[in-house]
Amino acid sequence: MGVPYIPVRGLAGTDVMERRDDMLMAYSPFDENELNVVAKAQNPDVAILHASKADEQGSAILRAFGEDVMIAQASAKVIVTAEEIVDRVAPGDPGGSYISSINVTAVVHAPGGAHPTAVDGYYEMDREHIEEYVLSSESDESFQRYLERYVLGKTEEEYQAIVSGRSLVAEPAG
Amino acid sequence: MTSAQRPPSTEELIAILMSRDIRDWETCACGALSMMPAASMLLAEATHAPHIEVIILGSDELSGNLGKDIHFLSQRGKLDLFYHSAVQFDAEGNFNLHVLGDPDAPDRRLPGGYGSGLISYTAKRIFFYRTEHSLRTFVPKVDFISGASVTPAGVKRAPEPFRLYTPMAILSFDREAGRYIVESVHEGFTADDVRENTGFELDIADPCPVTPPVSDEELGMLRGEVRDRMIETGTYSQWAETALAP
Repeated sequence: MGVPYIPVRGLAGTDVMERRDDMLMAYSPFDENELNVVAKAQNPDVAILHASKADEQGSAILRAFGEDVMIAQASAKVIVTAEEIVDRVAPGDPGGSYISSINVTAVVHAPGGAHPTAVDGYYEMDREHIEEYVLSSESDESFQRYLERYVLGKTEEEYQAIVSGRSLVAEPAG
Repeated sequence: MTSAQRPPSTEELIAILMSRDIRDWETCACGALSMMPAASMLLAEATHAPHIEVIILGSDELSGNLGKDIHFLSQRGKLDLFYHSAVQFDAEGNFNLHVLGDPDAPDRRLPGGYGSGLISYTAKRIFFYRTEHSLRTFVPKVDFISGASVTPAGVKRAPEPFRLYTPMAILSFDREAGRYIVESVHEGFTADDVRENTGFELDIADPCPVTPPVSDEELGMLRGEVRDRMIETGTYSQWAETALAP
């Protein structure tokens, strides 16, 4: 949207307001009796968004529901990862929300890139893995073990090999 | 209760009591993990409020993928009724759905604040519900204010006080007076029971009105038509199968 801030109804008197410096209370410039929350624009440096299909120019089909397109439009740089790279993605293509290449900085072919969450039409969410992730997040130690098992020192291919069911306790390759 | 039906569980009781207070033609919505609200809407629709709009965000068929629409509808002041729970409620009408304990090192993290911080300010009516009426729920001061009932004069709020349904009583919060009022106490409990299990002062009329008991018709409808509809539409089907079993 490119707006510097936006008024929102709600949140007055909450501890959320106490703990954030990007939201404050302000009277409406059009009505001196109306008090609202004003939230500062969120502008990430980089957004990484997963698409079902993308073309080499950067146009892509992002998930149907959610805020992906808005996040892309708010961010300075946008990396789209995609299940498939196709010749051309056009507005109106089925399967999700269209985003034009004018918003996209780079495209990466990353099949399985949404794991352990789902991509409609490609794969279901991996409930077991999400459960393992949640349980691991209970302490710093167990989360470190999770990272060592799946992430740290692993390439994308190694991660995909481990989670594709070959073994959840696979040893790192090489 | 005069028949051989099993008496209502806490969840059934709360669903039935909330359903009675739904007004026909209202646009009603509830968020995720809202089994009792879902049942209460479908019960009202099947009985005294056939024209309500039912939006159950956690349902396969009755959600309409309306997440964002509900937000904007509510921001525009056009959502008639929304449901809400919280783990703590306090004397000043604040409620907590964020953390238990010190917010910087919490004992428990909870789903947090979307509904509490936004929809509870903008929906015309809010039904709060809690399946226990206890001193750990009704505290002098919440650990974290996810939503506040009393706000500065310039903040636009719907005029109706919110209602709160528990296994013991129905309460409402009077924003002007800044106090909870006991609307009625359920059969089997006394005003003293409510006082002893609430960690702050309440306004209770003497004698305190008694909540009209659950009728056979209400319970039968909930365990019959409403349960079937929940199962058919993928609306917390597992819960409906067990919690509303005939």
